[in-house]
Amino acid sequence: MNTKSRKSFFLLTPATAVVLIFLCVPLAMLFRFSFNQFVPGEFMVSAFTLENYSRLIFDTYYGSALLTTVGMAVGVTVICLIMAFPIAMAITKTPARYKSLFILLVFLPLFVSSAVRAAGWIVALGQNGLVNYALLSMGVIETPLTIMYTGVAVFLGTLSINLPFAVLTLQSVLEGIDHGAEDAASNLGAKPFEVWRLVTLPLAMPGVLAAGVLCFILTMNAYATPVLLGGPQFRMMAPIVASEVLEQSNWPAGAAVSFALMAATLLLTGIINGYLARRYSYGS
Amino acid sequence: MVLNFTRRQFNLGLAMAASSVPVGSCPALAQTGRVVVGVWGGDYQTISQGNIVDNLIAPTGLQTVFDTANDTVRRTKLLAERRLPRGSMDVVALTAAGSYQMYKNDTLEELDASKLPNLAHVLPSLAKSYAIPQFFSGRVILYNPAFVKTVPTSYNDLWNEEYSGKVGVIDVQYQATLESAALISGGSVSNFEPAKQKLLELKKMGVRIYPTNESMAQALSSGECVICIMWQSRGLSWKKGGVPIEIAYPKEGIGLFISDLAIPKNAPNKDAAYVYLNAALDPVAQRAFAAIQGNAPSIDNAVLSAELAANVALPDDPGLKMLLPDQDYISKNDAQLLDWWNKVFKA
Repeated sequence: MNTKSRKSFFLLTPATAVVLIFLCVPLAMLFRFSFNQFVPGEFMVSAFTLENYSRLIFDTYYGSALLTTVGMAVGVTVICLIMAFPIAMAITKTPARYKSLFILLVFLPLFVSSAVRAAGWIVALGQNGLVNYALLSMGVIETPLTIMYTGVAVFLGTLSINLPFAVLTLQSVLEGIDHGAEDAASNLGAKPFEVWRLVTLPLAMPGVLAAGVLCFILTMNAYATPVLLGGPQFRMMAPIVASEVLEQSNWPAGAAVSFALMAATLLLTGIINGYLARRYSYGS
Repeated sequence: MVLNFTRRQFNLGLAMAASSVPVGSCPALAQTGRVVVGVWGGDYQTISQGNIVDNLIAPTGLQTVFDTANDTVRRTKLLAERRLPRGSMDVVALTAAGSYQMYKNDTLEELDASKLPNLAHVLPSLAKSYAIPQFFSGRVILYNPAFVKTVPTSYNDLWNEEYSGKVGVIDVQYQATLESAALISGGSVSNFEPAKQKLLELKKMGVRIYPTNESMAQALSSGECVICIMWQSRGLSWKKGGVPIEIAYPKEGIGLFISDLAIPKNAPNKDAAYVYLNAALDPVAQRAFAAIQGNAPSIDNAVLSAELAANVALPDDPGLKMLLPDQDYISKNDAQLLDWWNKVFKA
């Protein structure tokens, strides 16, 4: 091992050790738990059974929760990107002296935890909340809408949490784009939307993908917002993991659901990543 | 399981609590170290902090740390840690059904009465070897008299078509809801199966499911929900807080909720745990839970004012039965009942 390699080895060792000890080992243990048997009232019994995974396939409860989770993740990601792109572009084009102020404004919601933000949404979306009050006052509705404990509340809450991440990711990529290409396209007669569609968007695609993957993963694994805003009848996968482990003490089922969620997230992220890389050929 | 004691015996305990000559709390010996107490949050923790910790534990020199979570989380923790020589909690607050289940799983210490002087005052009908009863309350019907014109007399009144879309149940109270439905559908405290069909009828009528007790209080306040099943203690404190409700007693009997405190077998500081348990049975702490939360004391020397004793007492109707959950049945069936509740009723 030469000096450079030795240096790299020593620099990488602490981070690798932390990941191995605190992520890989617990994951391996959890994977083993997922094959154990749950005996009501007795926690878990050591076994090697596939029943926890077969339940995931044959019990529609888990299938519908997975579909809801994926649907929510896709919906939030798409709307997040649509909303974040213009904001990121506007920040990129802002004069330097105001730029940090706008970036700070995007950062501000991240200073408040997602649970606290969900509490704010509870106040806004309740039967006697701000939204219903405004709609009733304007005469748009006659009876208060039920927004709390529905998918709409979860969607709004998750969107508000993910939006700053998407804006900041896109903005950092847009900053690196050579605006000469956009100017050249304009000079050659392209209209502003064509410039954006044919030049800016393809060049910003790595950022779109990074922001999209971030939003998708965060929503797939969202826990606090679905629990607080979705209520008891709205089901997503992460709250089901917590319910299996903490409410029913059913660690084997909780572990199996965790791995199903992880597999679905990795698989879908990989498929979308691969498709977009081929479509815009930036991966090669 | 119908108890072998009557409502009169229960209220007799309260009468004793109201009339006893105040007995000074047993001064605890000077202690060092800390006691980790697994508790519910909200009012429960606030009352425990102000009346058990600040008044009775702090003067002994012990430091108290609250580990706040739901009862189910604490049960999972006890089971997960049972093979460890040192667990993470010294005292654990559980429902009576939860403490029974944990005792059967060999996670709780048999209590040493010699270390709990206040144990002598516990109402005999609530005493057990593995936990102290901290307080109790009865399961009743709460209704909004502006909407529900006829005073409910049975759990079956929740199935009245007139209240469709305005009936609420609480997610975390699934056991109490199932038991109530079982009592009016041919089941019993030892058989909740008939309750499933009965609850599906309620679901068809547009039942509202609220995640927590607090969200139910908000729904009752706003008129979104007009009738529900709840503990008398909660009803009293909500009524005191301005929620427009009255309390009605179901003829099927009053199910009892008992809140227990126990010591895990692997508690790191058992001496401190005994000090906490003894303090929880102290009249000062018991009076606070009665006055603020409307819970009935579990001791005979709490010395409540006549008005407070009357409020927290169960109704003076000789025909009314007191019902305790069949803990053995719940211990064996809780997982499948919760599974049904999550996957079928809430679906």
